[in-house]
Amino acid sequence: MSLALQVSDVKARFGDLEILKGVDIDVPFGEVHVLMGPNGSGKSTLCHVLMGKTDYEATGSALVDGTEVLGLPVDERARAGLFEAFQYPVEVPGVSLDDLISEMGEVREDPGFADRVEAAAEALDMERFRQRAVNNDLSGGEKKRSEMFQLAVAKPKVAILDEVDSGLDIDAVREVAHLVEELRSDDLGVLIITHYSRILRYMKPDKIHVMVAGKVVRTGGPEIAAELEASGYVDLVDGEATVSAPDVTPFDV
Amino acid sequence: MKTLDSQASAALGTADPGWLSERRKQALDYFEKLPMPSPVEEVWRYVDLDFDIASYSIVENPGEAHELGVGIAAALPDTSGSLLIVDGHVVSSENTEGRVSFGSIRSILAADPDLLEPFLGVAVPSDLDKFAAAHAAFGGEGAALVVPRGVVVEKPFFVDVQATENGSVSFPHVSLSVGESAQASVVLRYRSDDGLDSLVVPQLELNVGANAQLKVTVVQHWGRGTRSISHVRGIVGRDANLHLGEAGLGGLLSRLNLTVDLEGNGSSANVVSAYFGDENQTLDYRYTMHHQGVNTNSDMFLKGAVQDEALSVFTGMIRIDEGAQKTDAYQTNRNLILSDGASAQSVPNLEILADDVRCGHGSTVGPLDDDQRYYLMSRGLDELRANRLLVHGFFNEALARFPEPAIAGVVTSWIDAKYREAQEAGRV
Repeated sequence: MSLALQVSDVKARFGDLEILKGVDIDVPFGEVHVLMGPNGSGKSTLCHVLMGKTDYEATGSALVDGTEVLGLPVDERARAGLFEAFQYPVEVPGVSLDDLISEMGEVREDPGFADRVEAAAEALDMERFRQRAVNNDLSGGEKKRSEMFQLAVAKPKVAILDEVDSGLDIDAVREVAHLVEELRSDDLGVLIITHYSRILRYMKPDKIHVMVAGKVVRTGGPEIAAELEASGYVDLVDGEATVSAPDVTPFDV
Repeated sequence: MKTLDSQASAALGTADPGWLSERRKQALDYFEKLPMPSPVEEVWRYVDLDFDIASYSIVENPGEAHELGVGIAAALPDTSGSLLIVDGHVVSSENTEGRVSFGSIRSILAADPDLLEPFLGVAVPSDLDKFAAAHAAFGGEGAALVVPRGVVVEKPFFVDVQATENGSVSFPHVSLSVGESAQASVVLRYRSDDGLDSLVVPQLELNVGANAQLKVTVVQHWGRGTRSISHVRGIVGRDANLHLGEAGLGGLLSRLNLTVDLEGNGSSANVVSAYFGDENQTLDYRYTMHHQGVNTNSDMFLKGAVQDEALSVFTGMIRIDEGAQKTDAYQTNRNLILSDGASAQSVPNLEILADDVRCGHGSTVGPLDDDQRYYLMSRGLDELRANRLLVHGFFNEALARFPEPAIAGVVTSWIDAKYREAQEAGRV
C-alpha cells in the first residue's frame, strides 16, 4: 500500500541542542500507528517539525502522500494533507469554532466540505460548541473532541495526534480511542503520539514505533507494548540506560 | 462663520432661559481665562494638541448632510425617533414615541423651559478644561431625550451628528435622561468627510434614574481631518444600569473623556469600547468609574488596535469612595500593535478608599499571538487570513458586549475592512 507519511532521516536542533537524530517512520494509507517513548525522547519535537513550528532547525525529508512538506509554510503543509491534533490546543478568544471552520472551508475549495461539517458535527455532538470561542472554557475531553471534529472536517491524508490521551480520565481515553478507530480509512494514515500505553487497551494499532533519545529504536506490532510493560524502555536503548521507565499498562485485546 | 468671542456667545444665548443664560456667561468667563491644555498637564499627557481652538469658527448655516451609510441604516430599520445635527445645528428631528420628550434642545426648551434644567449643562463642569468651557459658552443645541418614570421604550433613538464645513468648530450636545424604572436605548453616529479640517466638541450627559436602564451606543466615524474632544458624564441612580458601547474608528484626534458616577446604592455600569487607529490617528480614552453608592458594580472593557503610525491611549480610573462598600469593579484594556510604528499606552489606575470591595484590572499591549496564528495556520489558513481572523476575534470580544448587537455587527464589518485594506496595501 502507498505511504501516507514517509519520514526519512529527520534531524532537528533547538539552538545547540540536537533533539532528533535521524528519524525514519513510514505510515501507509489505511493504517494507524503509534509512536511511543519516554519524556524527552523527541516525540513532540517530531510533531512540531512535521507541522512546521519555526523554533526548530530541521533537515531530512517528510513526504505527505509524496509531497515534501519540510520547508513549506505551516498552512501549505496543512493544505497538502497534514493535520495535527494538538496536545494543548490554544484558546482563540473571540473566534468561534464556526468562524474557523468556515475559513477552513474557504481555503480548501472542496465541494464536499459543507456536508462533512454537518455530518461530523452530528457524529461528534459538536453542535453546542460551534458558536463558542475555539477551545475556550472547554474541558480536556471537549478540547480533544473539538480537535477530532476539525480533523474530520479537514479530511487530511495524514493525521498526527499529539499526546491525544493525556490529561483525560479513563472514559475520555476510551472515547478518543473509539474516535480514532472510526477515523480509520483507506485514504488516511494516522500517527498517534503517546507517552502512555493505556489508550492501547481500547484500540489496536497496526504498528508501534518506539522513540528514545531522538531516534526510533524499535518498530513492530502491538506486541511491543507488552514487551515494554515487561522490560521498560531501558533495554531498547544500547548504552543509554538513563531514560525513565515507561508508564505501561497491558492492553486487553 | 463666527469666531469664538463674547459677541458670538451672547448671540447664541438670546433664546436661553434664565438659568441657562447664567451658566453660559460663567462658561464664557472660564473660556477666556483657561489656556489651551498642554501635554505638561497629567490629563493631557501623550496627546499632542497641535492646534488652537481659536483658529476655528462657528458655522451659522449648516452644510449639506451625508446620506446615512447602508450598514447603519440596515441596522436601524425601525427607530423610536431620530435627529440630525449638522455643524452644531439640528436640521431635522422626528419622534414617533409619544410617551417621551425627544427632539432638539431648543424646541424642548421652547415648549417647557424648565424640563431640562436639572440635566442640561450640569454633568460636565464648564471649568473642567478649555473645551468644556467652550462647549458651554458656544454650544447649547443638540438632542434631548427625557423618558418619564416607568416608561419602557423598546426601539432605539438615533442621533446623527455630522460636520461638513472646513475650518468649523461645533458643540453638539446630547442630553439623555431616563426617569425611575424607565428604559431607553440611544444610538449616536459621528461622521464627517476625510478631507475636512474641523473640530468637534461633543458632550453627552446621561442621567439614569432609580431602577432605570439606559443603553447608549456611540459610533465614532469622523473623517481623517476631524479632531474631536468629547466629554461624557453618566450619573446612575439606585439599582439603575448604564450600558455604554463606543466604537472609535475615525478622526485625526479623538479624545473621549468619560466619567460615570455610580451614585445610587446597587447601581451598575457596563462601559465597553472597541477602537482601531491607523495612519496618523490618535485615539485617547480617559475613563473614570466613580463608585459612590453601596453595592455598586462596574465593568470597563476596552479593546483597541493600532497600525501604521497610530497612537492610542487608555487612562482608566476606578475610584471607590470610603462609603462604597461591597463594590465590585473591574477594568480591562487590551491593545494590539499591528505595525512597528504604532504605539499604545495603557494606564489603569485604582483608588480604593473602602475596605470591603472586589476590584481589579487587566492591561496588555502586544502583537498578535504567535501560538494562535500557528494554530490557525495549521488548519490551512494562510498567514494573512489567520491574522484577519485573529483581529476579528480580538474585537469580537468587545463588540459582543455592545448594547445594540445590530450596530456592533456594522462596526465589526468596518473594522474587518479597515484591517483588510491595510493588508492589501501591504501596510500590515
